[in-house]
Amino acid sequence: MKKIILLSFTLLFATMSVAQIDRSKAPAAGPAPKIQLGEYESFTLDNGLQVFLVENHKTAKVSYQLFVNHDVVAEVENAGMQSMMGSLLMTGTTSKNKSEIDETVDFIGASLNTSSTGAYASAISKHKETILSLMSDVILNPTFPQEELEKFKKQTINGLLANASDPGAISSNVSSVLKYGKQFPYGEVETKETVESITIDMCKEFYTSYFKPNISYLIIVGDISKSEAQPLVEKYFGSWVKGEAPKHIYPTPVAPIQTKVAFVDKPGAVQSTISIVYPVNLTPGSDEAIKASVMNAILGNSGFMARLIQNIREDKAYTYGAYSSLSSDPLVGSFYAGAEVRNEVTDSAIVEFLYEMKRLTTEKVSDEDLQNTKNYLNGGFARSLERPQTVARFALNTARYGLPADYYATYLEKLQAVTADDVMAMAKKYLTADNAYILVVGNKDEVANKLKGFSADGNIDYYDAYGNPVSDAEPIPSGVTPEIVLDNFFKAVGSKETIAKINSQDITMATSMQGMPITIRLVSSGKDKLSMTIKSGEMLIQQITVNGTKGKMSGMMGAKDLTEDQISDYLSSTSVVDEMDFTNKTLKLIQIEEINGTRAYKMEVSDENGSEFHYYDVASGFKVATVDSQDTPQGAMVNTSLFSDYKDANGIKVPFTTVEDNAGQVMEMKIEKIQLGGEVDSSNFTM
Amino acid sequence: MKKLFVGLTLLIAGMSATQAQGKIKYVEYDLPNGLHVILHEDHSTPIVAVSVMYHVGSKNEDPSRTGFAHFFEHLMFEGSENIPRGEYSNYVEKAGGALNANTSQDRTFYYDLLPSNQLELGLWLESERLMHAKVDSMGIATQREVVKEEKRQRVDNQPYGSFQAEIMSHAFTEHPYQWTPIGSMADLDAAQESDYVNFYKKFYVPNNACLSIAGDLDIKETKKMIKAYFGDIPRGEKIVRPSIVEPAKTAQVRDTIYDNIQLPAVMIAYHSPALGTDDAYAMDMVSMILSQGSSSRLQKRIVEQDQQAVYVGAFPFPLEDPGIFIAFSIINADVKPAVVENTIMEEVTKLQDELITEKEFEKLKNQIENDVIGGNSSQAGIAESLAQYYMYYGDTKLINTEIKKYQNVTREDIMAAAKKYLTVNNSVVLYYLPKEQ
Repeated sequence: MKKIILLSFTLLFATMSVAQIDRSKAPAAGPAPKIQLGEYESFTLDNGLQVFLVENHKTAKVSYQLFVNHDVVAEVENAGMQSMMGSLLMTGTTSKNKSEIDETVDFIGASLNTSSTGAYASAISKHKETILSLMSDVILNPTFPQEELEKFKKQTINGLLANASDPGAISSNVSSVLKYGKQFPYGEVETKETVESITIDMCKEFYTSYFKPNISYLIIVGDISKSEAQPLVEKYFGSWVKGEAPKHIYPTPVAPIQTKVAFVDKPGAVQSTISIVYPVNLTPGSDEAIKASVMNAILGNSGFMARLIQNIREDKAYTYGAYSSLSSDPLVGSFYAGAEVRNEVTDSAIVEFLYEMKRLTTEKVSDEDLQNTKNYLNGGFARSLERPQTVARFALNTARYGLPADYYATYLEKLQAVTADDVMAMAKKYLTADNAYILVVGNKDEVANKLKGFSADGNIDYYDAYGNPVSDAEPIPSGVTPEIVLDNFFKAVGSKETIAKINSQDITMATSMQGMPITIRLVSSGKDKLSMTIKSGEMLIQQITVNGTKGKMSGMMGAKDLTEDQISDYLSSTSVVDEMDFTNKTLKLIQIEEINGTRAYKMEVSDENGSEFHYYDVASGFKVATVDSQDTPQGAMVNTSLFSDYKDANGIKVPFTTVEDNAGQVMEMKIEKIQLGGEVDSSNFTM
Repeated sequence: MKKLFVGLTLLIAGMSATQAQGKIKYVEYDLPNGLHVILHEDHSTPIVAVSVMYHVGSKNEDPSRTGFAHFFEHLMFEGSENIPRGEYSNYVEKAGGALNANTSQDRTFYYDLLPSNQLELGLWLESERLMHAKVDSMGIATQREVVKEEKRQRVDNQPYGSFQAEIMSHAFTEHPYQWTPIGSMADLDAAQESDYVNFYKKFYVPNNACLSIAGDLDIKETKKMIKAYFGDIPRGEKIVRPSIVEPAKTAQVRDTIYDNIQLPAVMIAYHSPALGTDDAYAMDMVSMILSQGSSSRLQKRIVEQDQQAVYVGAFPFPLEDPGIFIAFSIINADVKPAVVENTIMEEVTKLQDELITEKEFEKLKNQIENDVIGGNSSQAGIAESLAQYYMYYGDTKLINTEIKKYQNVTREDIMAAAKKYLTVNNSVVLYYLPKEQ
């Protein structure tokens, strides 16, 4: 597009005298100011409560933050209990009811809030003792009134309804479920049912077990000295009794083995809320934390110069804002990149997100970009020190995460030491576009279909606002029977008669394993002779031969005889078309659902050995997938075979491409050579 | 739930406050070209906030170009004669700074937060913007789409997101407050080249701006630099401000809006006094009695006692010209909006019929003292407050004395204000109901 300058006033001012300044370039900076961290003091009570104090008299206020650093505790079917316990702390103590507590706080113009991990209070200096005594009262003497629990439940359930229409709240819920899974505490989601199940005893029990001074920190900031604070803290928290809080460990959530697309339908939405998320293993203060934060800043967290906002907002105008975050956490960290974009550019915006993520892994960042980003982070750090709360936060983090004492004092040096190679290494480790959840909350009718291509298996997984899977299945239309589905299948591939005449096969397929090219040759004759040869180049990896009741497996690991079960398993591969063997099995149509991007009839095929599912394209009749699952000590292992690229071979159509997904191990196999029927050299089956 | 109400909390930003510990010291003066300058020196952190407030907002817009002031704010980051397109923000960010801007009904505010050794950079950037900003057709096309996304994100795709536009369009029939700063996308599409040029010429002139700087600076040096960067920018023509006076309402306006929501909401809005008037301070205190803190009347009655709603709040939305006062409640699924409306009306009537108690009055004073002491804790906030007191009230020293305005309000004044403004004929009542899907 030709640029037309619409606003240009140069001429207007051309004749004006210019003073001593040179407007044509940015003025030089003065000498860099020294950045000072500020001081804090600390002391510990006999009961183990650790206190950090940042004295600052600029404003005549004092704030207190009590942080009870208990382990993360799973709630499972009572999700929301801990947050409710936290709210209930404020609703009654042995000496005051809720109304009296509220009245006392409001009367002095102060604020006091409680949560599942403690409390926060602030007041002007003259009320610094009153507010601390109230904070102590709600933390040490809560009574957990039953009627207040009922009120909170009602409010919480209504609040959930309000959130269910907010795309941001939905996205946050479903992101958590995807990233961590509902088995992990961070992936638990409050619903009406979980809230209703909460009892006052659960809240009391939680409070009694976990609210202990010896795992807690009190952070005091403002217009108060240590000599003033220490006796106050002794007075109001000295009687808090110490004890052991239960500890918990959880299996760490991992990123998906391949990228999946998740969708929450919000009818009428005019924007898609895109979130690309996955868990990462990044702990606070680790060697990589600062390097990784620089990498993420370049991607999407450095104001207007970050790549995501430059590309997706300033260049493409798809969004008002596009950002990323990479958070560390002692249990499991997480990555997020996302934006809200108009419906019609949802897929285009995702392309740009993935492009920018991949670009950092393949293209070294320029020294200039790197230095600019460091400057931006350096400036942000310096600005954050304007608030005395920042130094208090540094003290708390140093203690709770066990960071080196000079971690923050040397932060700026560590920041400057990050190199372009570090950035690329961090990108390779933490920007895993191929192992991500792409979540979109938006208008299904207008958006969803265009997103299939981003999913490694071509499927979109639908969820409700709380992260529960929603089936897009439809019931089987009346009149459609397994026989009709099979008839359509046989018509599509050729005819049953043609298939029946095929009594041999010789098929060569190509695939790769861990980057190595592999060929698999399958030869069979009749129902009792089979050989399978797996090679990488000219090197034989494995050879399986079955002839009648005998079978042998040989390869790099030596040779051994096959068991009877193994022999019969292998011989099932002598059928060119599975459906020829369905006559003795029980067939049942389950539903129509989407698999690998195709609407398909799902048919259960079972016999005394168990059952598996076959999927037939509603439109073409072809079989598109087979899914079976085996019980293993690690739980059910699901094997999926996806069939596509049907082409003619000796009078029938066969799928030239098969994708095998064995519990996450994915292999794509393509037929290179195929001969169905005819003579097969019997030397193939000699042992 | 908090996130839902960000929009509402912004409304009360008008109630600014001052610092009691030490007065905010400042110097202020006009350049010969009419640019008003305010400087506040504070060396506690090596940072400086450079801001320019332009006295132009959506109320200055041509009714067929609504949304233009805000759109223009986006364009003012495109560049200048000396700053290539896309580089404006880079200069700030690579110097370790941050920048942004926002537009209200009454003014447009730009700020750069910089390390204090980059003060001159901030002056250069802001003077370039005022002197000879430069915008091309590609920048316009891009930012127009960005603004449309901003509207979708903040209004169209947000539950209850249209509430501000709905309230204003129902409450005002004559005054330009009837549309909101985000405006109409069709109007933005219709903009012509001459619109951009005229808007810039008319409003982006020194005599319509206040340069307010706070932080680690030397006043004498800063004055010299300001003269060098801004002194030569010619004064613009005298600004003609809208003189439209909204007629008093004579009958209640009621309407129902269907939105993509699950919980209904009720909103009651009243015409209310302009910023800085004695009545405005009294109405601020009315809102505090009704909804500040868990012990406030509406919180206690509607959320706690009657359990009718998940949320209730009362806010003054004070503007330079007479604005509005809003009571807003998001209602439990099994409660009818009329029930909550009646409860709010009962509480309003109580305020009109009975003086608030001595104890409540004491509580109000303490809350005000707390808010005042807690305010102005950042250099960025101080720069903005100083500019705002100058621009809206013409009285910068209010940053230190405004608390007296509150202290002058009596219990009787509060009752009188409630009687005068919270009347049925002066009200707009909107119900938000879930769309049938």
